[in-house]
Amino acid sequence: MSVYEDLQARFDLPEVPPEGEPALVDVSRHVELAGALKDAGFTMYVTVCASHFPSVTPKVKKGQEPLPPTVEAWEVATVLRRPGPNSEAFAWRVRVERPVVPTLYELFAGADWQEREQYDLVGVIFENHPDLRRLMMPEDWDGHPLRKDYAIDTRVAPWR
Amino acid sequence: MNPIVHALVIGVPLLTFLMGGAALATWFERRFSGKMQTRWGPTVVGPAGLLQPVADALKMMQKEDIVPRAADRTLFNLAPLFPPFLVIASAAVIPFAATIDADGAVKATGVVADLDIGILWVMALAGLMVFPIWVAGWAANNKYTMLSGMRMVAQGISYEIPMVLCALVPVIFAGSLSLSDIVAYQAVHGWNALSLSPSAIVGAVAALLFFLASLAEANRIPFDIPEAESELIGGVMVEYTGIKFGIFMLAEYLHTIVASALTAVLFFGGPLGPGPAVLGLGWMLGKTLVLFVLIYWIRWSLYRFRSDQLMDLCWRILVPLSLVLVMLSALLVAGGFA
Amino acid sequence: MTEFPPRVDPHFDIEEYDPEADLMALNMGPQHPSTHGVMRIKLFLDGETIVKAVPYPGYLHRGVEKLCEKLTYVQITPIFDKHDYVAPMTNEQAINLAFEKLLGLEVPLRARVLRTILAELQRIASHLLWLGTFTLDIGGTIGGGASMMMYTFREREMILDLFEALTGCRFHYNTHCPGGNRHDVPEGWETVVKAVLDAIEPRFDEYEALCDNDIFLVRTEGIGVLPPDLALELGQTGPVLRASGVDHDLRRDAPYHAYDLVDVRVAVDDGCDSLARYKVRVAEMRESVRLVRLLLPMLPQGPIVGSKPIKSLIQFKAAAGQVYVGMETPRGELGTYLIGGGDQRGAAPYRCKIRPPSLHAMAALPYLLPGHFLSDVVTVLGSLDPIMGEVDR
Repeated sequence: MSVYEDLQARFDLPEVPPEGEPALVDVSRHVELAGALKDAGFTMYVTVCASHFPSVTPKVKKGQEPLPPTVEAWEVATVLRRPGPNSEAFAWRVRVERPVVPTLYELFAGADWQEREQYDLVGVIFENHPDLRRLMMPEDWDGHPLRKDYAIDTRVAPWR
Repeated sequence: MNPIVHALVIGVPLLTFLMGGAALATWFERRFSGKMQTRWGPTVVGPAGLLQPVADALKMMQKEDIVPRAADRTLFNLAPLFPPFLVIASAAVIPFAATIDADGAVKATGVVADLDIGILWVMALAGLMVFPIWVAGWAANNKYTMLSGMRMVAQGISYEIPMVLCALVPVIFAGSLSLSDIVAYQAVHGWNALSLSPSAIVGAVAALLFFLASLAEANRIPFDIPEAESELIGGVMVEYTGIKFGIFMLAEYLHTIVASALTAVLFFGGPLGPGPAVLGLGWMLGKTLVLFVLIYWIRWSLYRFRSDQLMDLCWRILVPLSLVLVMLSALLVAGGFA
Repeated sequence: MTEFPPRVDPHFDIEEYDPEADLMALNMGPQHPSTHGVMRIKLFLDGETIVKAVPYPGYLHRGVEKLCEKLTYVQITPIFDKHDYVAPMTNEQAINLAFEKLLGLEVPLRARVLRTILAELQRIASHLLWLGTFTLDIGGTIGGGASMMMYTFREREMILDLFEALTGCRFHYNTHCPGGNRHDVPEGWETVVKAVLDAIEPRFDEYEALCDNDIFLVRTEGIGVLPPDLALELGQTGPVLRASGVDHDLRRDAPYHAYDLVDVRVAVDDGCDSLARYKVRVAEMRESVRLVRLLLPMLPQGPIVGSKPIKSLIQFKAAAGQVYVGMETPRGELGTYLIGGGDQRGAAPYRCKIRPPSLHAMAALPYLLPGHFLSDVVTVLGSLDPIMGEVDR
């Protein structure tokens, strides 16, 4: 993974690409990393996936000290791809405790709708997005359905 | 013969023919397109599905008659009345049969009103056809119908010009505006579009252009921009339900039949043909049927133009070409070739 | 290199448009014959010319991603059939590829080759349906387009019959599972496939003859020009991207299934317009026929599921972890970003983000439509081949 090596020192990525999951990057370097990747030939915007990690109290065995609850967090994973022969996808994630992440719209026009969808479903606000409206749900919908605290059987007023 | 009796004697069978023909045309089109598309078409109602048009008409009459709340009620209800009226009225001057006089001259008959200005009457009514469609599109108070109505006006007015100019070619040949005279001329000099005389080349091109223009006038593919159901859903008919919608469809089929008959009379000799003059009616109906099938063949095999391309075709190709044809035919007549 | 028009700003304020112009806002959809499902495009028209187009997807949103978080890995597969209801086979494969990567399951060679054959057959069927509906958009439901659609459906029916013989279902197959396939090839299936291919292949010439007329050309040429750089930025994949001149196909560039066994010839066209997208899809159908012919004799003997029996997967405790797996469906890269449940979540994935190629294709509409006529909306929309079930999920 030559691209990974190039970017590893610059963006404080782990020495070895972590097995099974994309590397974590600090949110302040998010746009910069995307720009660096775009310059390195990763010109195809593949997807963005936001996910919600609510605050949970870890289970402990009987008799052990109770552990403090985890901090509520949001993760935004972005995937870019280098098109052409020997195509390669590059994914990274940012983890934030406030659901605010800078947008990639300036670099990739495709981020427009993808980030709107993630805002709609997970409630992550993409800063400086030109048109952050709901994409899938009705405009007057309450809540963000893909958050973990949004129960699947939540009763909602029927859609007009 | 008393003109009223004459009109009744010819007019009633003509009306029956047109109405029955339009009903049969829907059946025929569906069977024909079915054959083209590896499917059956209507087969269930009546023998070979022949009663399907009756069933359709009954169904349409039973449908709820909906007038949109925002529509202009009077105009909305009035608009569907005119298209079939205009089309049937224009059929009144078309000769459907022929007789041979005592001195051997062929004379076209079977015409309800043999007007001296027959072709003018047809063209005037075709020009009026734009109004009920536009009124329907406007009165429904729907953006799609309005767009469709505007397209109809643009297309109708544009294609009238090559249509009239091409119809002028047989008029110049025959030296008369009467359709009977045009048929009588063809009895002597051969069909306008199919004969050995040099004028037939001009006649054939004029026939082609006239046919194309009347396709556009009748809103048939590839010129059915006003209907354009892939973008405008159904054109001016979007808001019409039940029998009002049915009347619009009836007018369309009538229009197709009349356009075929008119092309047959102007360019293909109308009721003329080999054999005794009694066969004239058969020849006329046969020619109409051939042109009619051709229209549906084109309809089920071609795609649709875009509105601007349609205008392009009209103003850049058809209009100049038909002007040239008019001049050529005048030269031919002046030179004694026709 | 051709000159491309300057990129449209999809967010420009309609108020800033020429105040003299008498603009009309026209809502195309949600119920409209040519929107390929339920979607709404708000069009601002100056006469018949489009000034701005704002698509509103979401009318078919069924919350599948939320559902996936409640179901086991085996239960999710049949839901994926219903996204892209035109190509369910490849949809199942896409999600199962992600599961296999997350769970670390091996797929036996026989299942891999069979999946490749099924994917290619599905590609033909999907493109056939696209061709029919595309010509329907151009030619009208009462016209030449309808004839073309009947012809393409005739051939598509043959392929659906093949799938029915294999899985017992014509549409929502549920024939894939993590680690292999459920239904083995019935006896004599290969011969039938060969016969169907022999019947279908000459028909492509007929389709091309039907489409090679002036009206089709003037309606598609230069309509909806999508420059390659914009196509990449928007995340276009599949035929839409290849019609913009980008030589990219996951089947060749990142092989999965058994695509490494065959040499995939990628169809690319520099036209960037609707006509190019039509050409690419027809070329892909021919290529798929060739691939299936190549792969049929390669189908090895052996099991079609991996060592782990399917039943035990229900109790399978998924490893925690995050994977992204993309696969080339008929519409482009169908990716799945999967976050494993780990121990605490039992057998369901924690988060399952689907990357539908159709959604990205729809996102191109605000860039493609302005400047065109109202009639071109259906051409552009049809040439992008969106499936609303997949756009909205």
